[in-house]
Amino acid sequence: MLKRAFKTWFLWELLIGLSVTGRYLFKKKITVEYPEQKTPLSPRFRGLHALRRYESGEERCIACKLCEVVCPATAIWIESEERDDGSRRTTRYDIDFSKCIYCGFCQEACPVDAIVETQEFEYACETRAELYYDKKMLLANGDRYEKQIAANLAADARYS
Amino acid sequence: MTQLFINDQEVDVTPGTSILEACRQNDVDVPYFCYHPELSVAANCRMCLVEVEGWGKPAASCCTPVSEGMKVKTQSETLAKDREMMMEYLLIHHPLDCPVCDQGGSCKLQDYTVEHGASKGRYSEPKRAVINYELGPFVNTCMTRCIHCTRCVRFADEVAGTGDIGVLNRSDHMTIAGIVEGALSSELSGNLPDICPVGALLDKPSHDVSRPWEMTSHSSTCIQCPNGCDISIESRGDQVMRIVPVDGSPEPWICDRGRYVYDAFRSDNRILSPMVRQDGALQSVDWSDAFDRTIDLLKDKKVGILFSSQWSVEGHVAISLMRDALFPDAKVAFDLHRRDMRPFAFEEGLAMTTSQIEAADQVVILGSDLRQRLPLLMQRLRKRGRAGKPVSRIGAMNYRTNMEIGRDALIRPRDWHGVIARAMEQVSELGKTAAGFDAWLGAVSDRHEAGKILADALISDSCALLVGEEIRSHEDAASLIHGVDLLMRACGHAEAGNDGRNLIPEGVNAQVLSAVFADARVSAGDIFAAASAGELDALILIGSDPVGDGLFPSAAKAALQKVPLVQIGSISGEMADYADVQLPAAAYSEIEGTFVNMEGRVRVATNPIKSLGQERPLWKVMMRLIQVMGAEVPVVSLDELRSAVCQHLSALSDAWCVSNQDSALIAPNRNRDAAALPKARTDSFELDVVSRYSMYREGMWARASALLTEAGELNALDDVLVHPDTLAAKGLSAGELVVKSFLGEQCFNIGVREDVTPGVLFIAKRGVAGDLSDVTAASIDGGAV
Repeated sequence: MLKRAFKTWFLWELLIGLSVTGRYLFKKKITVEYPEQKTPLSPRFRGLHALRRYESGEERCIACKLCEVVCPATAIWIESEERDDGSRRTTRYDIDFSKCIYCGFCQEACPVDAIVETQEFEYACETRAELYYDKKMLLANGDRYEKQIAANLAADARYS
Repeated sequence: MTQLFINDQEVDVTPGTSILEACRQNDVDVPYFCYHPELSVAANCRMCLVEVEGWGKPAASCCTPVSEGMKVKTQSETLAKDREMMMEYLLIHHPLDCPVCDQGGSCKLQDYTVEHGASKGRYSEPKRAVINYELGPFVNTCMTRCIHCTRCVRFADEVAGTGDIGVLNRSDHMTIAGIVEGALSSELSGNLPDICPVGALLDKPSHDVSRPWEMTSHSSTCIQCPNGCDISIESRGDQVMRIVPVDGSPEPWICDRGRYVYDAFRSDNRILSPMVRQDGALQSVDWSDAFDRTIDLLKDKKVGILFSSQWSVEGHVAISLMRDALFPDAKVAFDLHRRDMRPFAFEEGLAMTTSQIEAADQVVILGSDLRQRLPLLMQRLRKRGRAGKPVSRIGAMNYRTNMEIGRDALIRPRDWHGVIARAMEQVSELGKTAAGFDAWLGAVSDRHEAGKILADALISDSCALLVGEEIRSHEDAASLIHGVDLLMRACGHAEAGNDGRNLIPEGVNAQVLSAVFADARVSAGDIFAAASAGELDALILIGSDPVGDGLFPSAAKAALQKVPLVQIGSISGEMADYADVQLPAAAYSEIEGTFVNMEGRVRVATNPIKSLGQERPLWKVMMRLIQVMGAEVPVVSLDELRSAVCQHLSALSDAWCVSNQDSALIAPNRNRDAAALPKARTDSFELDVVSRYSMYREGMWARASALLTEAGELNALDDVLVHPDTLAAKGLSAGELVVKSFLGEQCFNIGVREDVTPGVLFIAKRGVAGDLSDVTAASIDGGAV
């Protein structure tokens, strides 16, 4: 009875709570000051998509459409034809990032490592239309991030 | 019946059935590559191994006949091991390029590898590569993928009849190749990609374009020839991507014409919005503007109505309702290939089903290029020929059939009377006669020896006559058909149940059309003559192109230049040059509708593809036309329209309940009293003109298809052909010559061919020579002017 009155009148529970707050106040901080600071990303991070090329400059995608069919959000749209040299190529490869759920299935389905997800996640934009990427934009992504993509694939290679 | 046990289940099958067929009949799954129900058994893939109790080693089920009390096992550990080893063998040289192979997703090899194959290959030596070969405009080859099942070889031998695909070398060096350069000029070549179980033979036009899983299938009926095959129109979104045959339908194949017409669906030739001619050019307008112009052209005017037989039954009945409501006196024409409009003793349509024709004792083709006109019926006859049953033929040209024709005679169209008269005499001598024989015989003075072929065939127990376009388009067709009818009666082939009188129609729905338009029907030539003479104020063309098709191109041109044209249809074609108004009507892929084929078989299409543009089903366009012209709209829904159809054709009332579609056949019309006697010829031209039918260019749809047009150019013969003797008799040689006919004197480049009957001018209905289609007789006079 006395103990309960003490706890009530001296705000004991509040003090316990404040002690937790106090402890964290002086502890080393785990938050980062984004965008000045950034957290490290896993090589398996699934961000903006890119279409890769071979070293010769030939695009990797062979228009097998496996990514299109595996995509649970139907965010990918592909049209293909036989190119003049007889190889099967896309004439259209669009990804609608307003639909994409970044599950990474497309990357997993791809038999030639053409479509990959980069670690890029800073592509916020002002209109929805800007989230609609066509083949040219995706290939440009590939060119831009090729070094990062290759490093990530190499880092992850022994687990796959 | 033979009784056996499959996986301990007792089953009964007919004696002689193979184990594989017994399994398939009883829904027991046995894997196979080389077996095909329509082809002979090769037993070379060894995939269909099963265990038979008491046998030392597994048996290839496709070539092992069942025997009484046999105990078959289709699943066991040893079989699983055998199948795994077979898969390993088959995959040794197979490239792992499934992602770029069009077959991927519908590939037997892929499926069986997943089901029966090992998860890892052990073969690490170099794989072989095989040179591809040319297989016509529709088949893409990638022979490295081939597993040597030889289905294509057997198809070329047995179904296409060309026999120009073969096996070269053996063992590891074995390849499938065209034996001659540029092999396979078959009208059935599009089926090769279908029967290839792997990706060695693929569809060339749609190569690398789509994937099997992207397709939505819409079952429909092909309207490209009177055979009306069941087809599955496969679409991606609202785009038609390909057309394939339907498993389990009467014909397992479809012809190239029906298959590759698919690119016409999205061609520039489609009418996708209402168009009106303004300042000399057709401009896209909205429906109300187009109807305003139509009212100007048609209101209180005298019109001629011309339509094609390719619409659905509902569409045709809607045309008839439109005529009754707006132009009750207007004459209509739908057959651009009929000159003689007197009633025929037996009207268009087959009295027998194609399987009955295949089984008949005797088949005689009377004046028809069946391979071009009805490739699937020709294929049936080829099958019949392989079974040793005779096929005879009388016609104006030795049409290539890819089969051995038993007895063959080349005659001129003017000889038909003599042929029939000769046959009449011969059967009379045997005591077979019918009332009317004497009168008919008395009107003909000639006798032609080819009649013997006909008479010999007629004395068999069952005889199927396939009466073709050379008789149907004849100026004196009614008397010829009356003559044939008398012959058939005399020989007992005209009774119900044993009726062999088959008149091959020009298009689908022939039985329906002759019932619905019995009174209003005239020859297309009469309509054009009336228009040219100023008796008509306008023409309405519904899906018909009388300039490109039919026997009246010159008359049609003259008429179209004289009167305004309202064109209603799916394809604009050459009529765009003449049309004042174009109203879009939905294509056969885009409608719910009923179709009746030449056998009288009824098919109902129920799941149409979405319209590409503003086109609407023909019956809706017709009803709207009635409405804007201020008359009372007779039907407002498809159900009401179908009750109107039933008033014309009570036989169709059962058609819309799915259960008995196949059992009910609509019989072709018979006019027992049609007794036309032969007429004497009045002209003095010495050559008969026969126009050649090409499956690649006949019909608006085929001409709108770039694929078919390209294929047609590959196998094209000269525009005008004669037998070398015809020219030699006049001391002329091939080249630019003057042709005299009632059209006047025209100059044509004339080629020679041995297989044309002497005395016949054989013309392709294209280019300048097309104009000659109008005439039945002509003469060649000297060199170029």
